[in-house]
Amino acid sequence: MPADDAIIELIQNGRAGEAFERLMPAYRRRVFGLAYSLLRDRAAAEDVAQEVFVKLWQALPRYDGRAQLSTWIYAITRNTSISALRKRRRTLSMSDAAVQDEVESRSAPAATEPEDEALWRQVAALPDKQRQAVTLYYQDERTVEEVAAMMGLPVNTVKTHLHRARASLADALRAAGREGA
Amino acid sequence: MNPDDRLRRLFGNLDAEPGFEERVMQRVAMLATAPREDLQVQYERRRALLRRRLKREAWMNGITALGLGACAGALLWRYASEIRWLATHYTPLIDPNLLAVGTVAALGALVWLLIKRAQSGR
Repeated sequence: MPADDAIIELIQNGRAGEAFERLMPAYRRRVFGLAYSLLRDRAAAEDVAQEVFVKLWQALPRYDGRAQLSTWIYAITRNTSISALRKRRRTLSMSDAAVQDEVESRSAPAATEPEDEALWRQVAALPDKQRQAVTLYYQDERTVEEVAAMMGLPVNTVKTHLHRARASLADALRAAGREGA
Repeated sequence: MNPDDRLRRLFGNLDAEPGFEERVMQRVAMLATAPREDLQVQYERRRALLRRRLKREAWMNGITALGLGACAGALLWRYASEIRWLATHYTPLIDPNLLAVGTVAALGALVWLLIKRAQSGR
């Protein structure tokens, strides 16, 4: 990615501050999208995304270029999101599962129309990996390769998740259409 | 509208709230101006907590070992006469080579377990 090359060059020249200023707008949507796909909660995803960038600000001068910049950032985002998920699960006991479901179901990204809300409910009901793949794929018209890099999974696995998710959603939409008719 | 377009519409606007970058820069600025003394205090506190945890674990390990030793001692004392009887009657029946091989194998297994334990605790 050309933007990454410029950022890495700045880091190597000891200009981590400038590198960070370029990195944040370049990765904001991707970091937020990845956190959101894991956490299913806008506020929590925003919190995690902020934490990721603070960590990046601290770690950027030590970035040695061994891993690709994007791979490194996605790994930090996944780990930070997973820590946040663990903390949330510790806070909410098993009896609060209904509360958690409620919080998550209210966290639709931009579901303002009733049919979008129905679609969101169907996406929310997908298995974790399928939901994550769909969210990341459709957030920014990404390639399957990029989604695979973000999720830390092989490309073919992501293709399978996407295929199954699309099939489930199409079935659910058809069923909903029949019920509505 | 087909499902692909609907999903694009659903997730296309997925982004952080406006002012995200300013909020991150505020957190970064707070971190950058945090006095070094605070960091030192945090570091010392974490070290003290770790030291206390390790000490507690060492105590627990010691108590466990003592407990197991006491149990083994009590069993030996309780069944001393039976053990003595078994030793006098059955020891001559055991093949000395088999006994040697068994002892070496048991010692080897013990050493292997200790090495694995030391490696995992690193």
